[in-house]
Amino acid sequence: MVTFFKNKNNMFFLIFVGILLLFNIYNISFNTPMVPDQHWAQKIFYVHVPSAWVGFLSYFVVMIAGLMFFVKRNDYWDNVGLAAAEIGTIFISLVLITGPIWATPIWGKPWIWEPRLTTTLILFLIYIGYFMVRSFGGHIERVKRYAASIGIIAFLDVPIIFLSVQFWAPEIQSHPQVEMAKQPAGILIPFLISLCIFTLVYILMLRYRIYVIQIKDKLIKNV
Amino acid sequence: MFLILLKKELFIEFRSREVVLSMLIFGLSIILAFAFTSNVSKVIVSNYAPGMFWIMILFVSVLGVHRTFSYEKNFDAFSMLISAPIDRGIIYLSKWISGTIFLTLMQLVIIVPFFKFLLLDLPSNFILFISTMILVNLAIMSVAILVSGIVMRANLSEVLVPILFFPLVSPVIIAATKISSGVLAETAYQLWQFWLLIIISIIVIFALAGYTLFDFITEE
Amino acid sequence: MLSVTGLSKSFNHRKILDNLSFQLKFGETAVFMGNNGAGKTTLLRIIARIMTPDKGEIIFENINILTSQPSSRKNILYIGHAPAMYASLSALENLKFALEIRKNKLAESKIIYQLEHFGLLEQANDPISFFSQGMLQRLKLTYAELSNWNLLLLDEPFSGLDKEGEEQMDLALSNWQKKGKSICLVLHNIVKAKIYGHKTFNLLDGKIYQS
Repeated sequence: MVTFFKNKNNMFFLIFVGILLLFNIYNISFNTPMVPDQHWAQKIFYVHVPSAWVGFLSYFVVMIAGLMFFVKRNDYWDNVGLAAAEIGTIFISLVLITGPIWATPIWGKPWIWEPRLTTTLILFLIYIGYFMVRSFGGHIERVKRYAASIGIIAFLDVPIIFLSVQFWAPEIQSHPQVEMAKQPAGILIPFLISLCIFTLVYILMLRYRIYVIQIKDKLIKNV
Repeated sequence: MFLILLKKELFIEFRSREVVLSMLIFGLSIILAFAFTSNVSKVIVSNYAPGMFWIMILFVSVLGVHRTFSYEKNFDAFSMLISAPIDRGIIYLSKWISGTIFLTLMQLVIIVPFFKFLLLDLPSNFILFISTMILVNLAIMSVAILVSGIVMRANLSEVLVPILFFPLVSPVIIAATKISSGVLAETAYQLWQFWLLIIISIIVIFALAGYTLFDFITEE
Repeated sequence: MLSVTGLSKSFNHRKILDNLSFQLKFGETAVFMGNNGAGKTTLLRIIARIMTPDKGEIIFENINILTSQPSSRKNILYIGHAPAMYASLSALENLKFALEIRKNKLAESKIIYQLEHFGLLEQANDPISFFSQGMLQRLKLTYAELSNWNLLLLDEPFSGLDKEGEEQMDLALSNWQKKGKSICLVLHNIVKAKIYGHKTFNLLDGKIYQS
């Protein structure tokens, strides 16, 4: 069995993404302007927002994989869904960790019921349930169907959760960097670069994880 | 076919009364807990009453929904339903509507104790309170029935239902509290109409999802 | 009338059915035998569409029931181990409901007549949770007698029956065979299998190893 990174293209992709990540850290640290009243704390923005983007993208992939699983009834799509759910939850956790780190110096308290952060937290809780179903749900073939349907309804719920949280407490609207388009180019361009690099990292992680899950599946089946 | 299934749900409940009764008793004990923890101070309670009401309903509906699926598992009755030559989405619809009816019945009984035990005045616009309540019940049940349908055969299903249900239903909690607060405070309809839209969109999305997904998830 | 091809189903990666195929013509009875866990019950439950197979095709009356509308299997009736009825409802109510969702509504007098025939009339209005194993078996037999079907999937019909019940079951089975109905029967008793089976399949690890 050829391992994932023995493949030349994958190896090249890994090195490429690794270099880009190093460049990203350098770029964020030294090439972006300091925001006067936030100082270094603002730098976490370049990690926080791309993580959120990747997390939501990944949960979107879970939904698509769930739909494909129901249409095709093919284990491949279950593997994709599981991989995307795992990686999505990693990035969503990163959002929930970096959020309070950023918020503490800016707002003076670690948690504010800001709509995006609240939506992320709710989605995180749904996915904790998703993994509980995966592990305690019963025999594997049945759990696959449960997981696919939870993935679908979780993402369908996102826009409504977001809307309701946004209008729930309208006085809390103080996300430091809401209006992306209004950012000066000095911040916007490194941010977009970071967003692209995070997306590439995500693609690499997802492909690798799907590969590992497939091998695991094969091993269990052959025992 | 929908009516036959709905009639069956209502008839089983009429026979045993277990869903509505257990929800009712549980609801009363939650009211008791609210009374003890709030010192029944009118200042605290009147602001928080709509929230308390919907928290109670949320807990109670988990219990009720669990019951409606456990009598299907008893004697393997559910296999008669899914092996019958009917569209399984209709099973979802019948359970959704019957669940809403049970929840509404329970609420109609519990409204007076709820307000009186917490030393509050009854809603002045009773009809409006009830009709918005029924709409919210439809939304709560559309999510609850779908979630318990998904995990009904899972081990630990009684644990998994609330864990999945509560975060999924959070828009409904927010909207229900806002609507009830608006109705109780007699504010203008324009101030809370947005929340009705949230409730209606939840109903539409989850009813459609439930109707289509039930075919896949009800299999053994 | 029934043609099953390449049916596979796993639980926890263990193959319960492994690429199983068989055919059944109109009026034939197929008997499935084998140890516990050989996949007999799973096979019947898949044909009844209570479970979905991982792979395979089931053609019933020239329609693939796995991919077409639920109405395509209106002539299949599944009677399993469990009563598959509501414990809190009475025998009469259960039968009425079960027949109604099969779009097979009958007059109450007809149901009562059959209940009497199978010796359940006295308990017709009691909740079936009070029924004994044998009474539940006879209730299922009444249900099979009353519904419309061309293919009956019957899982161990003789378990838990007394002498009289066994005779009734024998009579019903031979009557259905005379009427030219098709039956898939799961049995443990080799003598009964020889009486009823036009075809006998022995299942081992989800495969037919002898027929």
